[in-house]
Amino acid sequence: MVVRDKMKLLRLTTLVSVAVLVVLALFPLIGIPLSWLNYLFSFFIYLALANMWNLLAGYTGLICLCPAAFVGLAGYTMAIGTHVGVPFQVGLIAGAAVAALFALIISYPVFRMKGIYFAIGTLVLPEALKAWFNFWRPVGNEYQGMGAGYSVVGVAGITLGEKYWLALAIAAASIFVVHIILRARLGLGLTAIRDNENTAASSGVNIFRLKLSSFLIAAFIMGLAGAAYYIHVPSIQPKGGFNISWLLLPLMATVIGGEGSEEGPIIGAAIVTFLRFLLADYGAWSLFIQGIILVVVVVVMPQGIAGLLRRVGAYRFPQKLFQAAEGKIHKT
Amino acid sequence: MEVSLVGLASPIIRGILLGGLYVVIALGLSLIFGVMKLINVAHGDLVILGSYFAWAIMGWLGIDPFLSLVVGVPLFFILGFFVQKFIINRTFRISLDAALIACFGISIIVQSICQIVWTPFNRSLTTSYQLQTFAVGPVIISLRYLLNFIGGLTVMIALREFLRRTYLGKAISAASQNEPVAERMGINPNRTYSFAFAIAMACAAVAGVLQGLTFYFSPTSGSPFLIISFGVIIIGGLGSMAGTFIGGMIFGLTQTLGAYLSGGSMMVQMIAPYLLVFVVLAVRPQGIFGR
Repeated sequence: MVVRDKMKLLRLTTLVSVAVLVVLALFPLIGIPLSWLNYLFSFFIYLALANMWNLLAGYTGLICLCPAAFVGLAGYTMAIGTHVGVPFQVGLIAGAAVAALFALIISYPVFRMKGIYFAIGTLVLPEALKAWFNFWRPVGNEYQGMGAGYSVVGVAGITLGEKYWLALAIAAASIFVVHIILRARLGLGLTAIRDNENTAASSGVNIFRLKLSSFLIAAFIMGLAGAAYYIHVPSIQPKGGFNISWLLLPLMATVIGGEGSEEGPIIGAAIVTFLRFLLADYGAWSLFIQGIILVVVVVVMPQGIAGLLRRVGAYRFPQKLFQAAEGKIHKT
Repeated sequence: MEVSLVGLASPIIRGILLGGLYVVIALGLSLIFGVMKLINVAHGDLVILGSYFAWAIMGWLGIDPFLSLVVGVPLFFILGFFVQKFIINRTFRISLDAALIACFGISIIVQSICQIVWTPFNRSLTTSYQLQTFAVGPVIISLRYLLNFIGGLTVMIALREFLRRTYLGKAISAASQNEPVAERMGINPNRTYSFAFAIAMACAAVAGVLQGLTFYFSPTSGSPFLIISFGVIIIGGLGSMAGTFIGGMIFGLTQTLGAYLSGGSMMVQMIAPYLLVFVVLAVRPQGIFGR
């Protein structure tokens, strides 16, 4: 009886998520204001980043402080590609592939580091890349002054609606990928590594390979999200591409929403997007308020909003409702 | 041959002297890392806050930046005590990740405060003696680099004697070596951690003045110092003051020699420290002199 209820509930949640996806996909067609599409575009990009950061921090136990490296590399690959005649659609995939390749190259040294060492080792990477891209200019003229910026050529004709669909697809893919991974052998292995690496290793879990798979997947999707962002904002500079805010966004979204839960990044990304646009006019104050929120959330509710909801039993509410409704049907 | 040796002597001496600055910055980080196994990612920004504080006092009262430390060090000490007491100690008990994220939050807050109060322009502590140089044989030494070295040596020796001779210093060492046993001996670990963080903040105030005399600074220039000082304690190993000192020298030398050998290339000067940190981390995460 209970099992059948759960199956029904599962089918219900699948139905609801598909319905939400369809409604979101219809938004550009039914004449939603452009500013709304703009907000939602940012929300999807942040959501994809947050989901991948959650996969690393919440399910694999890797506090990875280098999303900026993946975003910047993917953005630069696409931007430079458009200067030598590669269409941006190819550049988008190529950028993500370069981000994943970078993750593969650094995986050997960084996986030798554990815990806090891993965090700092990955923190170094975007800084080093930023310094590198300040001087390296493969195509185009010598740049005057500091900062080797590139524009993304040939994306002027793309409508906001199309960019919106692209971002929606990436966000949906990121949710789907995490969902699948957690229900596959990979997810089991990853949570085992997170909880106790030594025990996982002695139980026959191939730690390096599993960590590497989740690292590569995260790098690829973060790269996709970053490149998609630079289709929307068609110019990239070392200071922007490797900016610490590419780390701050997914980190805040995951921590506020709830690390190690599937719904956490969704809640968190919505809050972060809201805050970002609400505080957009206040410059440094915006950063200040975000910092305060981050500290307060970590001190007051370390499990995030998802953890809070779980504690008060909000998740059992639909199930209870469902059972109550069915009870009524049976009675009549 | 003679000429090139003399040419090489200048960057070597400058590197060693500059290393003193990295030692002061790294000592604060090392103390926290040694006691709590936590990397305070806000440390670089706290150093920059120290620079700004000295700059503000200088502009307000027109006194020497070193004199501003009379107010700066106690102020940073108290601030550090309460930051540890109300933020880090709480998150530290939850998990190390939570504490790391809290430090990251503090780093953002400090950066934005600097930006709000002092605007994002480049500043420097301009004094009459800042650009003075003097010649020792064929080598020309600038006074600010010498001050860095003297500052590094002074803070290192002071901290070492403090940890060895005072009750509080011994308590900090004890808590860092074995917390449960230290607690049974009547040491309150939370209080000890608060004092450790307070001392680290006081070091950051001193480092801020030295840094401000040496380089230009802006609200976001803290993160390279974090990475360099992390590299210094990785090379130097935990709990070894002498190791930290050598680590600082190595980093100073990497930067000045790298710039010299590559013909003054800014790129090498900027990337060399990062590369060194990454290679050391990948090859020997526990440090060259570490246990």
